[in-house]
Amino acid sequence: MDQIDILSGLKPDSEVYRARRERPEFVEGAELCRETVLAPRNGFGISHAMRAALAARMARLIGREDLARAYDLMLEEAGSDDELAAIAAAEDLSSDADAFTKALVRHADFVTRTPRDSTRADIERLEATGLTNPQIIALSELIAFVNFEARVIVGLSVLELVA
Amino acid sequence: MSGSGFKVKALSWAPYIEPVDVATATEEQLAAMQVTPSNTKVSPYVRTLAHDPESYVARTKLFNAIMYAKGGLDRAERELGALTASAVNRCVYCASVHARRYVELSGRSDVVEEIYMRGLDGPFEPKVQAIVDFCRTLSETPSRVTREQAQALRDHGLSKAEIIDLIHSAAIFGWANRLMHTLGHSTPVEAK
Repeated sequence: MDQIDILSGLKPDSEVYRARRERPEFVEGAELCRETVLAPRNGFGISHAMRAALAARMARLIGREDLARAYDLMLEEAGSDDELAAIAAAEDLSSDADAFTKALVRHADFVTRTPRDSTRADIERLEATGLTNPQIIALSELIAFVNFEARVIVGLSVLELVA
Repeated sequence: MSGSGFKVKALSWAPYIEPVDVATATEEQLAAMQVTPSNTKVSPYVRTLAHDPESYVARTKLFNAIMYAKGGLDRAERELGALTASAVNRCVYCASVHARRYVELSGRSDVVEEIYMRGLDGPFEPKVQAIVDFCRTLSETPSRVTREQAQALRDHGLSKAEIIDLIHSAAIFGWANRLMHTLGHSTPVEAK
């Protein structure tokens, strides 16, 4: 059982569990993608701990506390501190947080909740804070992955409950 | 089951950030973009995401499996899942690409016309309605997806394996829309 099976509440003998195994490219692909956005070889200066904290935060915003707790654990393993814990807990950042961190958090919140309202100004804001192009893409892929994963878990969870 | 003749215009996409330049790209970026001496033309979208080649390669593989893997959910219905997510997220570019593919595969320009002119409320015929409702809620507010919505898909003949494919097609567009719609914008196709 992987993280998606467990958080979706799949039983090992269920039809959904077995059908999911008929799509190994989805199962392995999701885990490989997780690796590349949460624990990439090249993180472009966005630490694994920060990535885990942002992932936990986004999962909480989406309403999957169980997924958030999985990322809390990842954050603990990567080494947390007060600020990262606050990010993960979906709290407001203290006013003395640095601009770079504030920009990451704002963008993660915004693109998770209301991607439809995105404009050029949101990317310019990241650039003005000093994010490089690779950092903008890495952040965007992380945000998008967690939103994907949460939706797969939600979908599989309800599917497991129907006849 | 009928086409209405409604047509969605093809669009191009332009990034807000400077994409990777093939001439100065790293080995890893070139491999990710699949640049070879005979293939140096790479779309702005691919060059934009190639700033982080590791995530680009993994996501592309997963995306292709979800949208094109053999068997399971009819490809047209995967496109309807993609279109519904893109309509929720107002990703004009993704919507245009996947509305067109959906019509190519299903002939259902009437469904696309309804979505473009009046939105996702419908009414659509029951099976289309079940797919649109499920994918819409999953895209908008995952916490509000209900067991009844999943049951409606079963009642309209989708197997659990097919519903797994549908979940993934809507979810991968929750991903793709969050790239395409945040990192750039649609533009008219340039005259050749």
